[in-house]
Amino acid sequence: MPTILDLHSHSEASEDSRAPVEAYLNWIKLRRQQLPLDGIVLTEHRQWNGGADYRALEDKYGIMVLKAAEVETDYGHVLVFGVNDDITARFDFANVRLPAQELIDEVARMGGLAVPCHPGRPNVGLVEHYERKPALENVVAVERLNGGSRKGENERSAELIARFGYKATGGSDSHLVSLIGLCATRFEAAIRSIDDLVRELKGGHYEPVDFRPRRPEVRRAEPVEASSHRG
Amino acid sequence: MSDIVAIDRFENVQIGAAIGPEPMFLSKEQSRRYARACGLDAPRFTDDEGARKEGLPGMIIPGNMSLGLLTKLVTDWIGQSGARIVRIGTTYRVLVQPDHTISLQGFVTHTYPEERACEIDLWIENEDGERMVTGTATVQFPK
Repeated sequence: MPTILDLHSHSEASEDSRAPVEAYLNWIKLRRQQLPLDGIVLTEHRQWNGGADYRALEDKYGIMVLKAAEVETDYGHVLVFGVNDDITARFDFANVRLPAQELIDEVARMGGLAVPCHPGRPNVGLVEHYERKPALENVVAVERLNGGSRKGENERSAELIARFGYKATGGSDSHLVSLIGLCATRFEAAIRSIDDLVRELKGGHYEPVDFRPRRPEVRRAEPVEASSHRG
Repeated sequence: MSDIVAIDRFENVQIGAAIGPEPMFLSKEQSRRYARACGLDAPRFTDDEGARKEGLPGMIIPGNMSLGLLTKLVTDWIGQSGARIVRIGTTYRVLVQPDHTISLQGFVTHTYPEERACEIDLWIENEDGERMVTGTATVQFPK
């Protein structure tokens, strides 16, 4: 049975988000037709929010809540799935210059998976770093669709994936309630736990899915000198 | 003139309700007037050439002006209901440049019935659908 998960989201536990987890779940429940998600993965910035317990909310809304982390490395931002005590003892998630190659290798050895996110984004994405440094080894998957991307960023991510043969994920990167689930990942297999997720990310079949509504074309404004829309 | 449909009372606030989108053309002259009125008479807000000398692509609008536009979106929605904004905050993700058509948008995302309050997501989009400024507001209605 397929599973659709938003693999990249931030709750109020991240310093730049005010979105309560319950508001995310209520939003998905109210918009089930547009957002057919089975769950979300909370990837708080530079921390492992291991103590947070969302089981009561999962039961209340019938939506899975898994936990991961988004960390910062010398190759940009990376999502870490399957965080455990060994990984948090080995890496200081608050360090904004974590060594990406070590992170990828060690997290895999300790049972998790590190997935570079928004690789097409300037400064914090893999594409720009690959222009100056050797490509990372042992990368399994990268984020192909990111809901917070600017024009051209997701396209650059797709080119990177095509060039290196990485698997591709999707996530909203939501910091606002109303943006949750707009990009996600569809797995062929059933996923019920973070262990299932890590297993499928490593060896399963999956693809990014896009639930962003089509927006009408906005007419570009004329330069003010030629415009009749003066304020 | 705003096309926003105003809310009349808390009982009619619904999670998921859209506020906007409210498209508007933002001119350089509006940006200059705002900057000068606020004492922000820096080249980056008033003059393309001066802004480029600061390394910017051209004139940008002051962050407080973006905040003001989003605040007006909420107060247009509040209308005559007697509600008030008790908190509003914004994050600046992309430079907002004048001489473009922008779109103001919001969604009610959460309600607090005991406090007769609600939480709203807000953003300013450009013509490419990029969310340049995002934010949230808390609105409280009278008892």
